[in-house]
Amino acid sequence: MEIGNLENHVQSEPMEESSQAQISHLALDIGGSLIKLVYFSQNSDGGCSKSSVQVSNGNEGGPVLQGKLHFAKFETAKIHDCIDFIQSKQLRVTGCQHNGASANEKCVIKATGGGAYKFADLFKEKLGICLGKEDEMDSLVAGANFLLKSVHNEAFTYMDGQKEFAQIDQEDLYPYLLVNIGSGVSMIKVDGPGKFERVSGTNVGGGTFWGLGRLLTKCKSFDELLELSHRGNNRVVDMLVGDIYGGTDYKKIGLSSTAIASSFGKAISDNKELEDYKPEDISRSLLRMISNNIGQISYLNALRFGLKRIFFAGFFLRGHAYTMDTIAVAVHFWSKGEAKAMFLRHEGFLGALGAFMSYEKHGFDNLMVHQLVQQSPSASHGGDKTHGPADSELNDNPSINCSIYLS
Amino acid sequence: MAGLTQHPILGTNDTIKEEEKKKQEVDQTKPLSLDKLEGQTEKDMAPVTGSSIHRSGSRPQLDLSKAAIQGTFEERDPTILLPNQSDHLSHLALDIGGSLIKLVYFSRHEDQSIDDKRKKTLKERLGISNGGRRSYPVLGGRLHFVKFETTKINECLDFIYSKQLHRGGMDVRIWNPDAPTNENAVIKATGGGAYKFADLFKERLGVGLDKEDEMNCLVAGANFLLKAIRHEAFTHMEGQKEFVQIDQNELYPYLLVNIGSGVSMIKVDGEGKFQRVSGTNVGGGTYWGLGRLLTKCKSFDELLELSQRGDNRTIDMLVGDIYGGMDYSKIGLSASTIASSFGKTISENKELEDYRPEDISLSLLRMISYNIGQISYLNALRFGLKRIFFGGFFIRGHAYTMDTISFAVQFWSKGEAQAMFLRHEGFLGALGAFMSYEKHGLDDLMVHHLVERFPMGAPYTGGKIHGPPLGDLNEKISWMEKFVRKGTEITAPVPMDPPGTTGLGGFEVPSSKGGTLRSDASALNIGVLHLVPTLEVFPLLVDPKSYEPNTIDLSDHSELEYWFTVLSGHLPDLVDKAVASEGGTEDAKRRGDAFARAFSAHLARLMEEPAAYGKLGLANLLELREECLREFQFVDCYRSIKQRENEASLAVLPDLLMELDSMSEETRMLSLIEGVLAANIFDWGSRACVDLYHKGTIIEIYRMSRDKMHRPWRVDDFDVFQKRMFGSRDKKPRPHKRALLFVDNSGADVVLGMLPLARELLRRGTEVVLVANSLPALNDVTAMELPEIVAEAAKHCDILRRAAEAGGLLVDAMISNLDGSKGNPSSVPLMVVENGCGSPCIDLRQVSSELAAAAKEADLIILEGMGRALHTNFNARFKCDALKLAMVKNQRLAEKLIKGNIYDCVCRYEPAS
Repeated sequence: MEIGNLENHVQSEPMEESSQAQISHLALDIGGSLIKLVYFSQNSDGGCSKSSVQVSNGNEGGPVLQGKLHFAKFETAKIHDCIDFIQSKQLRVTGCQHNGASANEKCVIKATGGGAYKFADLFKEKLGICLGKEDEMDSLVAGANFLLKSVHNEAFTYMDGQKEFAQIDQEDLYPYLLVNIGSGVSMIKVDGPGKFERVSGTNVGGGTFWGLGRLLTKCKSFDELLELSHRGNNRVVDMLVGDIYGGTDYKKIGLSSTAIASSFGKAISDNKELEDYKPEDISRSLLRMISNNIGQISYLNALRFGLKRIFFAGFFLRGHAYTMDTIAVAVHFWSKGEAKAMFLRHEGFLGALGAFMSYEKHGFDNLMVHQLVQQSPSASHGGDKTHGPADSELNDNPSINCSIYLS
Repeated sequence: MAGLTQHPILGTNDTIKEEEKKKQEVDQTKPLSLDKLEGQTEKDMAPVTGSSIHRSGSRPQLDLSKAAIQGTFEERDPTILLPNQSDHLSHLALDIGGSLIKLVYFSRHEDQSIDDKRKKTLKERLGISNGGRRSYPVLGGRLHFVKFETTKINECLDFIYSKQLHRGGMDVRIWNPDAPTNENAVIKATGGGAYKFADLFKERLGVGLDKEDEMNCLVAGANFLLKAIRHEAFTHMEGQKEFVQIDQNELYPYLLVNIGSGVSMIKVDGEGKFQRVSGTNVGGGTYWGLGRLLTKCKSFDELLELSQRGDNRTIDMLVGDIYGGMDYSKIGLSASTIASSFGKTISENKELEDYRPEDISLSLLRMISYNIGQISYLNALRFGLKRIFFGGFFIRGHAYTMDTISFAVQFWSKGEAQAMFLRHEGFLGALGAFMSYEKHGLDDLMVHHLVERFPMGAPYTGGKIHGPPLGDLNEKISWMEKFVRKGTEITAPVPMDPPGTTGLGGFEVPSSKGGTLRSDASALNIGVLHLVPTLEVFPLLVDPKSYEPNTIDLSDHSELEYWFTVLSGHLPDLVDKAVASEGGTEDAKRRGDAFARAFSAHLARLMEEPAAYGKLGLANLLELREECLREFQFVDCYRSIKQRENEASLAVLPDLLMELDSMSEETRMLSLIEGVLAANIFDWGSRACVDLYHKGTIIEIYRMSRDKMHRPWRVDDFDVFQKRMFGSRDKKPRPHKRALLFVDNSGADVVLGMLPLARELLRRGTEVVLVANSLPALNDVTAMELPEIVAEAAKHCDILRRAAEAGGLLVDAMISNLDGSKGNPSSVPLMVVENGCGSPCIDLRQVSSELAAAAKEADLIILEGMGRALHTNFNARFKCDALKLAMVKNQRLAEKLIKGNIYDCVCRYEPAS
């Protein structure tokens, strides 16, 4: 696994396809730490045409755009990079063109996340566009439903380093628990399209990992911190059951000697200071603490509503194997194997995708995904690789071939 | 003077001993103006040191005879010994956790009650079999709570060694320090350290650790506390602490959340029936570990204290930060809700050093507390448990922690579930290990068997992490001086940061006084538990469960403030009296000073946090004062005043009796009640009356008081009472079988008020039991003093004499009369029993077994005086007829209780319900 580029900058060279293809329908999810972008690029051969393939879905009358959905992300602190990116791609112009408005008129871009409110003025000023605020939860759920229903091999389980794609039966999808791990964590019970309830959440999330991690390790980025954790050993920092019981298990209640009794419980030693601990160990301990906690609270909420499936998403995961493993183990442990943690390949883009979907209401009848041709990730493709470290194959957010039906 | 040699003088160095000698000399040379009475009183004072007095335990009782001690016996040289030590230390149990060692030990009194002939007669008459219930195994004693940091385990070992706890823990009745330590000696221990440090204990103390399962211990400890201690569980919301009375029958099931280094969540279904259902690795160790890395704090308490001044808005990402200051009201999140703990510390241009440690500590505390609250609730929900008890050392009575946990439980459960906390939160495991001794005898203890005391040593032994043990009174006084000098902080109000929007879902910084965490102050929270297995619930209460002794609710702050002022104002006078009662020596002055400081410190602490010692009522406050006096070894401040007044009153008694005998029966009853009310003016507990004393002699005041009484009194049920006593013209009611007369003050009050009334009842064929205090409190007459007063009165009155003989009060006379008076018609008996209290008030949930036995055949109760009839029990309902008599000697109380004025009278009669 290669170490990603630590600098998060906008890819300076134009994307191969987007340079030629017509780009449209931009949507944003502006979170506390990251900005996520989803946009549609029309296939160069696509153009506007009458639908001839999906006759059955009742959209015969409308024009169809064939193309790809692309995904990109920026740190919220570097919002100006994001604005530059949008400007350079002229995303905003095309984003509005099918709405029947001329390019010079006032444009509306769908956006969600807290930043849609916070940065509304900035977008107006810099790009002359308005952000059409979409509800965050609505967007998350719409994005997840879309992915789970339409994208093949979207969900997978992760156990002992083994990734396994799960086939989701369309008819048996609902209800499920959607756990979105952003800066904080939202837990949403989803009963059907547009039918959901935020049932819980926790303030110990990705922001906590990154915030505490930064204070403790001086890492310069979230990804660097994650990377560190991979080489760490939490036994130096955490108090294990064995530390308390002199190396023996506490069998009576089923705790093995290597179970963590108290995260950071060993860091109370009198003669050691922060500098005496390896950043790798601290990062590992922190990651385990937070992942485990999220896994536990998620399971307890799933149990409460009798939900068998828990989907984890959000930018905290970043396809990081160890993180997913810890969450999966926590769910497995607390549920005694009854419940399974599942993950989504486009984990970070639920909100942005949902916001994108909301264009439907304003002119698009449907967003139809073809029997997906999953494009294997390569440098030539899409925004996904651009801004995060290109670490593992799990980390890709492949672009999706799709059609947009226009009314 | 035999009595004095047994005086519980704790001074163990030569100075004190010399002073003691001097004092004896002073006593011996004192002019015996009250010769008869004094001689008797001294003799009767002796048993005060014995276990026949129930609440004498707050001061260590060491018998110094035959002990030539150099230095303090608590020092680490074990060869310095007290051969006649009567206060046996026994039964020690440990909970050795990852960060703290908790210790529970029991010190037992040897049952050395003097075979008192009078007592024996009384017991036979009341049908108390003295053998069975007290013989084994709990003889009464004290349960102490101490803690140490695990890293300082050597201090703990020293402590055990210095107190010889590891030897007393065996079934050795009288430990012999020279005897070799039992090879197989074991101490019950739990917690991971019981395994880890087993060898160390063997090596250092020569004892093995008998490992008890941790969960078993936690649950046993929690069950014991919830069952046996009245004000153990409380809720804590928005800075408000409220004690919860747990119904024994509805205790189970509950969720027990123990927050140590890690967190265990246990579903408890009954005694020994439980299951660990969950837990989290984010616990106290996480707070302390992360906190240490982030703040460089040197101790857990320091870190906790820092949080007090923190503002988490600079650290945590709030909903408002994400939404540009707006709420996300659609899903019920306010702008001040924490969206992401530490979510703001990702800023690139700020390093760890740029954040305030205070803010970091608070943010960390909230993150962990909130998380524990949430996971606990989810588990409670899962098993349908309504009550969640939080224990363990993480909480430490810290208001903010408790508020955060409570808030999380309330928020997520939408008010359905309740978070509760335990006062002895940190000692669950250790207590449970203690319970695992087969013969501890605590199984059947009930709430009324335990009395909690807060001696000044308690901050050391009960609350704060331990230093070297306090040896004797001298050390305690020096420590008090230091404590108060350094710790004006225990009286000064603590500045609080202005409340900010630092909340989870609108959760504000608590603005309570409870938020004041200072190690000194919070340390006072746990007292020493006095086990008095002879205490019982007064059997004539209609509903013991809902019985509340206190009439005035001190949770009303203005009320508390008023009594605070009253007690503070009374303090200098009391100190003078106390010092004078001990001969006015330098030692007495120093002790008096220490007493004043200690009591003021308690008062200040209670003003700041009224619930610090459990639910606070006026009775508790008054009792605390008496306990505090005893702690500094003022045995009886009013002794000489009481003697003087008794004598003066007894002198005029014959005239009064003659005057009464000349009246008709019905007129006499009114005069008697009038007399009780008038005589009740003699009360050193009342400021107004103390002022009065300077204006006339006892008999003048008594007459003036009686002359001024005009019916109807402010509360006047006399006619109803009269009717019960005499019936209507044609129908005479049956006289009462037995009357319990709860007496109040010495002097005119008892001699000219209650004794004549008792005499009248005896004349009517009603048995009379005079119920008096076990220990001195102000000028209240004690059960020890009463027989002598009765004996003196009996010299002038045949009715009293015969009744006293029948009741076994006149021991000598009885023996001499046994031969000659067989032919005399025997009288109904007049008896005296102690009530089990050492306070001007009485809590009828905890009375002596003698009183409880005496009450079984009683069909009339007469409560006399402000303390027992107004401050407490004014609203108490009894199964038999009850008469409550008092003169109100406090303007505020008069207004509040009876809408009247000072010197108004209360004659409240309530027929059996």
